[in-house]
Amino acid sequence: MKKSEVRTLIVGYGNPLRSDDGFGWHASRLLADALAGQDVEVITCHQLTPELAERLSQCALAVFLDADCQGAPGEIHTRELLPEAAPPQAFTHTCTPPGLLASAEQLYGRRPRAFAITVTAQTFDIGETLSPAVAATMPKAVEQTIQLVALAHAKAPKVKRSQRSL
Amino acid sequence: MKKIMIDAVTRIEGHARVSIRLDDEGQVAGTQLHVTQVRGFEKFTEGRPYYEMPSITARICGICPVSHLLASSKACDAIMSVRIPETAALLREVLHCGQFVQSHALSFFHLSSPDLLLGFDSDPARRNVLGVLEKFPDIARDGIALRKFGQEVISGLAKERIHPSWTVPGGVNAPLQPAVREKILAGLPDAKAIVRRTLKFFKGVLDQFKEEIENFGNAPSMYAGLVDPAGKLQLYDGGIRFKDAEGKTVADHIPAHSYQNFIGEAALGDSYLKAPYFKPIGFPDGVYRVGPLGRLNVARSCGTPLADAEFAEYHQRLGKIVPSSFQFHYARLIEALYGLERMEALLNDPAALGTKVRAHAGVNSLEGVGMIEAPRGILIHHYKVNEEGAITWANLIVATGHNNLAINRSIEQVARHYVDGKHLKEGMLNRVSAVVRAYDPCFSCSTHASGQIALRIQLLGPEGTVLDELRSE
Repeated sequence: MKKSEVRTLIVGYGNPLRSDDGFGWHASRLLADALAGQDVEVITCHQLTPELAERLSQCALAVFLDADCQGAPGEIHTRELLPEAAPPQAFTHTCTPPGLLASAEQLYGRRPRAFAITVTAQTFDIGETLSPAVAATMPKAVEQTIQLVALAHAKAPKVKRSQRSL
Repeated sequence: MKKIMIDAVTRIEGHARVSIRLDDEGQVAGTQLHVTQVRGFEKFTEGRPYYEMPSITARICGICPVSHLLASSKACDAIMSVRIPETAALLREVLHCGQFVQSHALSFFHLSSPDLLLGFDSDPARRNVLGVLEKFPDIARDGIALRKFGQEVISGLAKERIHPSWTVPGGVNAPLQPAVREKILAGLPDAKAIVRRTLKFFKGVLDQFKEEIENFGNAPSMYAGLVDPAGKLQLYDGGIRFKDAEGKTVADHIPAHSYQNFIGEAALGDSYLKAPYFKPIGFPDGVYRVGPLGRLNVARSCGTPLADAEFAEYHQRLGKIVPSSFQFHYARLIEALYGLERMEALLNDPAALGTKVRAHAGVNSLEGVGMIEAPRGILIHHYKVNEEGAITWANLIVATGHNNLAINRSIEQVARHYVDGKHLKEGMLNRVSAVVRAYDPCFSCSTHASGQIALRIQLLGPEGTVLDELRSE
């Protein structure tokens, strides 16, 4: 099932049953609504898998949304990602964004410019809701992602479409 | 007496370790597989409404949630005493085919291909999917594309790749959309081409693995798998056929509700994994193998043209009964091809776009058994409920469990052949792990018994002597 190229790919990942680990999951769902109609594909998943490498090779910008554990709860971190070989044991069950970028380049000859937007979690305990600190940060994190996408779209030329999927 | 531990066995689903006991000459005296995790779904689902079981038990596994979803839904169909609509049965089977394709792709390309492509003795730091990516990018791309196709079939039908809630007691909760059908059909030629390329590659390298083929668990055993009334391969429905090591059918068309007459369950020490056995023979001699190897040994044919051609060649090359567990890989690829062809046939059936997809009923039976072929073998969900529909008892016999005794025998055979305690090399131990991988076990799927498994705790001295032992029987 071939898919069309897309300008921007947003990947929100995490476990929504583990409180703040669901940050990427919830954020990506909000972004899917906020960016509807734009040249953006939003993927929400529990974990990164090797299949994402192909999709990454078909976009100009990728944004990974996840929780992290560095800093104070609710802190937002934005950083540019570069390809980097993932540890072997990580690849079959859990991929890393830099590892996927490396795979996209190696297997499909192309990788996007990529960023990670992460929010420091307060808790990874069992639970379906975000902690107050992370929930309070959510609108700002979503807004930052939208701005990042808008900036990239303003600067970068549109990706040539090769094929449309159904 | 010395002991070697392979802890953990890698490139499998779930957690396990292998212990190898050596005698004073450094030769293998015995081995054991230890499955070290417990999931306990049989116990903690007690009290839940039966109709929640598909969603709950799908959480058993992230690789084959669809298998649990389907087996559980079938058990619930039996509790409701309904015959689900034709379209619902057809769509469930399409979903199941997608699951087979993605799971078999994961096993072959991601988990086992590093041994086959890079060699059992190659540098362990590179003997993984990343090493394959570097040296064999075409094969890595094929693996990624095939798994992705299977996952997209699942997400196309059921909306979510993992833990979908589309399959429900009585059928499915939404009809198939024509656009999804067309999208899947459009992707099938490429997917079939990938499997055929891979089969060609695999058959081309078989001669490089003569020693492994002869020593990877080819001890005689029985085989079991589901077949249709004509004896053809069945993944979604059918009855169990048992064949003995010579290929003689010893029990046939066993319906789900009669499984307990033929399958007993034993507990092994030092492992949370139950050990099912063929009851008429008893424990531990009633060992049988399920999964791709077992299925292709018991079935008369696959029932689709390309898979049947491969099936015929497979048996022509390897015999009427294929005993080597190394050939799980070969059989797995043939089944992936079957899954794609079967999916195509089902989607081209006009009933695929039917809109009657769910039967509604309450509790009409206090007991229900659901049985399907999961990618790793026969999966059985057996529930008892009270009048209100709350689960009072559950028994799950998971594919990997059926293979427990056979895996243990295979480990011992490989260890005795390859492991030399006085000249130990990593490649020797990798072969022990590889024979476990050949079965594609999913240990995280398969440890649900409560109160049946004997637990042993040993206190060992510095020389490995047992100082004290606590055993729960």
